[in-house]
Amino acid sequence: MKKVRVLVLTGYGLNCDHETAHAFSLAGAEPKRVHINSLIAGEERLKDFQILAFGGGFSWGDDHGAGVIQATRMKNNLGGQLLEFVRDGGLVIAICNGFQAVVNLGLLPGLDNDYTARTVALTYNDSGNFRDDWVYMATNPQSPCVFTKNLGVFDLPVRHGEGKLCADDAVIKRLQQNNQIALRYALADGSPALGKFPENPNGSVDDIAGICDPTGRIFGLMPHPEATVHYSNHPQWTRIKEEKKRQGIDPQFATAPGLLMIKNGVDYARENQ
Amino acid sequence: MSSCLEISLKPYLADAHGAGVAKKAKSYFGITLESVRSVNILTLDANLSTDQMERLRTEIFTNPVIQVSGYTPLDLDFDWVIWVGYRPGVRDNPGATAVEAIEDLLGLKFTKDQAVYTSIRYCCKGAGLTRQDMEKIAKEILANDIIQQWKVFSREEWDPKTGVGIIIPKVELNHEPSVSKVSIASDEELMRISDERNLALNPNDIPTIRSYFLREDVLEARKTVGLSEPTDLELEYISQARSDHCNHNTFCGKFHYTDLSTGDAMVMDNLFSSCIKEPTLAIADKKPWVISVLWDNAGVGKFDEDHYYTITGETHNSPSNMEAYGGAITGIVGVYRDPMGTGKGSKLIAGTYGFCVGPRDYDGELKPRLSPRRLLDGVIEGVKDGGNKSGIPTAFGQVCFDAGYIGKSLVFVTALGLMPAIVDGGPSEEKTTSPGELVVMCGGRVGKDGIHGVTASSEVFSERTPAGHVQIGDPYTQKKMHDFLLEARDQGLIAYITDNGGGGLSSSVGESARFSNGCKVDLAKVPLKYDGLDQWEIWISESQERMTVSIKPEHEKQFLDLADKHAVECTVIGTYTNSGKLHITYKNDTCAYVDMDLLTARFPQWEFEAEWTPPRLRGLREPVLSVPADHNRLLLDMLARPNICSKEWITRQYDHEVQGASAIKPLVGLERDLPSDGAVVRPVLSSEGGIAISQAVLPTYSAIDAYHMTTCVMDEAVRRVIAVGADPEQIGGVDNFCWPTIIYDDKQNPDGKHKAAQLVRSCLALRDLCNAYEMPLLSGKDSMYVDGHLPGRYGERHKVSALETLQFTTTGLVHDVAHCKTMDVKMPGDLVYVAGFTKNELGASEYYEHLGHLGLNVPHVDAEANVALYKALHKAMTADLAASVRGIYRGGLGVHLAMCSMAGCLGMDVDLGKVPTQGAYRDDVLLYSESAGRFILTVAPSDKDRFEKIFANLPVACIGQVVQEPVLTVQGLNGSAIVRAEVRDMKDAWKRRFGGLT
Repeated sequence: MKKVRVLVLTGYGLNCDHETAHAFSLAGAEPKRVHINSLIAGEERLKDFQILAFGGGFSWGDDHGAGVIQATRMKNNLGGQLLEFVRDGGLVIAICNGFQAVVNLGLLPGLDNDYTARTVALTYNDSGNFRDDWVYMATNPQSPCVFTKNLGVFDLPVRHGEGKLCADDAVIKRLQQNNQIALRYALADGSPALGKFPENPNGSVDDIAGICDPTGRIFGLMPHPEATVHYSNHPQWTRIKEEKKRQGIDPQFATAPGLLMIKNGVDYARENQ
Repeated sequence: MSSCLEISLKPYLADAHGAGVAKKAKSYFGITLESVRSVNILTLDANLSTDQMERLRTEIFTNPVIQVSGYTPLDLDFDWVIWVGYRPGVRDNPGATAVEAIEDLLGLKFTKDQAVYTSIRYCCKGAGLTRQDMEKIAKEILANDIIQQWKVFSREEWDPKTGVGIIIPKVELNHEPSVSKVSIASDEELMRISDERNLALNPNDIPTIRSYFLREDVLEARKTVGLSEPTDLELEYISQARSDHCNHNTFCGKFHYTDLSTGDAMVMDNLFSSCIKEPTLAIADKKPWVISVLWDNAGVGKFDEDHYYTITGETHNSPSNMEAYGGAITGIVGVYRDPMGTGKGSKLIAGTYGFCVGPRDYDGELKPRLSPRRLLDGVIEGVKDGGNKSGIPTAFGQVCFDAGYIGKSLVFVTALGLMPAIVDGGPSEEKTTSPGELVVMCGGRVGKDGIHGVTASSEVFSERTPAGHVQIGDPYTQKKMHDFLLEARDQGLIAYITDNGGGGLSSSVGESARFSNGCKVDLAKVPLKYDGLDQWEIWISESQERMTVSIKPEHEKQFLDLADKHAVECTVIGTYTNSGKLHITYKNDTCAYVDMDLLTARFPQWEFEAEWTPPRLRGLREPVLSVPADHNRLLLDMLARPNICSKEWITRQYDHEVQGASAIKPLVGLERDLPSDGAVVRPVLSSEGGIAISQAVLPTYSAIDAYHMTTCVMDEAVRRVIAVGADPEQIGGVDNFCWPTIIYDDKQNPDGKHKAAQLVRSCLALRDLCNAYEMPLLSGKDSMYVDGHLPGRYGERHKVSALETLQFTTTGLVHDVAHCKTMDVKMPGDLVYVAGFTKNELGASEYYEHLGHLGLNVPHVDAEANVALYKALHKAMTADLAASVRGIYRGGLGVHLAMCSMAGCLGMDVDLGKVPTQGAYRDDVLLYSESAGRFILTVAPSDKDRFEKIFANLPVACIGQVVQEPVLTVQGLNGSAIVRAEVRDMKDAWKRRFGGLT
């Protein structure tokens, strides 16, 4: 089987690198945790990887808008390499702080094949505070997003203070038309959250939890798929286990949705190398 | 040239931060602000061209989608403007990251004289707002005058061209650093100088200090380096090291204990030795999983063959009472350095918090510096930023409200780490410094921060406490250092590592140099935040985010290169030697030259008088109370009590799942809203093993007897980790004592002897329960002087002492997280069991407190009986024979049945007549007694026989079953239903108090 190499960024206050790398290993890829400065110094090159993961964290303390300084540093020092990586068909998954960095870099939403324009922002939750909770979300089956294929409705943890997606109406409209809105906050039955708190945890426009670029290869989302790869990550696992026991079902757990999402990306990268 | 960049959200976007301010103004003071818009200001104190300024404005600091900005004041509508900025020398984290970003963008380097300062102006609108309202909001919501300054502008006062003006909070000391000599002509003179310089030397230590410096051989040796009388730096070094905070003089003291009821007297020589060290060493001998205890920054236990876990707990009380946010963030970020500095260094995998504070809605006559509400809001936020921005899950926590904490609130922070068993071919828990190795200071720079913090926390809090020790932690800088140090460790570059906490370099270098038996350090090499610090200040400054590391000289380049990659500042400041001397220089001048063993042996032991009057002789009695008629209302009111009710709003602000290892979360149940008994993390992602962590605090029991307070707290913390799946054979404890002053003084502390007796009793209980449960104390700390002097109505000052408090943290090994359990009842038809005897033990209970009584019958722990029960329970859990497990804690059986029912969103039908009991024959006693050693368990009917077989001959009984209809029904002793409470109603009552907070 072909190897899928994944570069997981680290350093400067990023903090989900270990579990993100672990999730990619479980999905059959070969992840490598790479410090942003190693990439800048040329010790590692993006073109040696098929997937680039911008993980969660508080880069530069998120002091001047979440992900803002990370984006500036990467744009100034790696801008060309990043655009080349995207142009050459590389996959990008950007989770939480990574999503915030990527919209500031302009890699998302990538309208009109422009991967540098800042047209979408992730700003302070309507609640005014950081929030850790589990929320349901529904995928958009029409979306070209390679990560959300066949995932349906599932729940993942959100853990952020700045996850409210904002953009001009015209931009939102185009995202909708292009089916770039790959993931929306939802109720347990998959129906839209319609902005209701805490189902929509941050007040995001159109319940947007994640968007992709028009090709579907670049995907950013606020929830944390990498934190949902083991059965015990789920808040209801003790209950699920007990229910299965009573039904006489082997209490083996189905593969967690977070892992399926990451596996989608790995499989795509393998097939399209 | 300096300039101000103003940044604001576009006017049509909601300003959540501003809305939060309006909400607080309304709820704190009833002031209605129609709108609050915040403007972030960056004051650039650097020479930048117009071009450069425009680039940084557009490319970094303005998000074109949501923000507008400009170098002239933004034109926002307002009736009043409040501007808030830092005072000089206060850590400005966003200012520092702004510098980093600008340097990177423009490819330049700021000089030491250049900086970026951040501040905020709030544009407030509202009808009839007065200057007084604005001052109040500024002073009591937005700013703390210890660390911040503010200005209020009316519409008329506002000049739209200049705005708030350019305010540069730059530290300018204009001081030539110098070392001064201190006269030791007489004891009195040295004492006077100690008072003058705020050295806080103990009078008993003074003759020892003098005699050392007057010794002929010492004088002779000092002459060779140009010294005679002690220097200020040397005395500061001794003062830091001898402070109660660092040296634990109280716990190592000699207690003359008399039981006044019998006249029996005994001498407890060194509580630490007899009650903590000896039992722990004896237990560690029997338990191979105990890897390293009692000497390092944290204790070390075995996780698996390849990994060890490290654990310690701290308090950060005094600073948090001055500046809640700064104190708490510094506290949690600080405790995270302890596992980092344990063995050759650990990765941080979890943190926990404990807040003991005054009632949130306190509105009494006494005026603490910060109102309990503001203090609590601040510490919550401090732990939030400290934990979340460190990327460490805040896995568990607790809050305890008691009026005694108005004098001084307690902020407990606990850190859990993980390290490989083997580092560079050797045991990870071992470390030492050797002659010739380099002393490296890593992390932040040194300023005047925290000078005399250690001695201040060893003093009673008053309005005159110097504010200089209040700091603001910087989790970002520390996270970078954490990642760097772990990589350096794995490359085998770290010979020794310890953190710079209390006492700064003085402690870290002083202690690490004991291994090699000497050091020579040049303070001129220490990187400073600003010039003008005296040598002694550099030596004892507690500036945060620093570690001291010993490296081999041949590793210098590799170590410093790696630091560069991680953008961490590291400086070689000296070498370890075997000279037997602590030798500190500034360039070529010696500022300290003392024997390494000066601090270890020659100081007199502290002595305390302790007098114990048993509670009955103190006049405590059980109240005369008939059984309540309205049990339904009573239960709902109990659920609404501050120490019982939901505090979900706090838990949700904390990232408890980062690192992807969370197996049992702090909130559990169908609606994820009930507080779990404990948390479980699975720190090695490829392993099924876990570590359970929990904690307990029960200060009210101390009002009767701190012995039983202690055993109950420990038992609760043990049960909490067992309830989620820990192996009872592999539980370790962390004791954090917070005690009011025990030094007797006729006027200032007339009940000091009682408090001292309580401490002795607490330590005896600690010893007894550790022995009975075979539980080692992996770590622990003490913080004495939990008293405050608060102004009252007429300008008089009242001494307020907190109840004698022990927070006990437990960690327990979970062999396979698959057998972890949660408290929520799972299935209708399941059988409900109570394990452990309920006794007539309502003394100091939540129930008595609710009714205004204290009582006498404080719960007693029957350790021997509990051990058998806990082992059986663990066996049943491992065989998956319990569907839910819940310990019975504060509030008793009634409250915890309600919690299990609320968690599962299912009803329960239970019969109090079936509860295993010894001497509890009333409905209220059965429902609200807080007897230790008990659990509520639910069991699938098909597992009944196997379950009951495991508990044969143990006090376990089936008291009812889980039902579909979401109603908790309790049948009283007379056979009628005394409680019929719907889950919805119980949740409403339980959530109402803090339900509006997010």
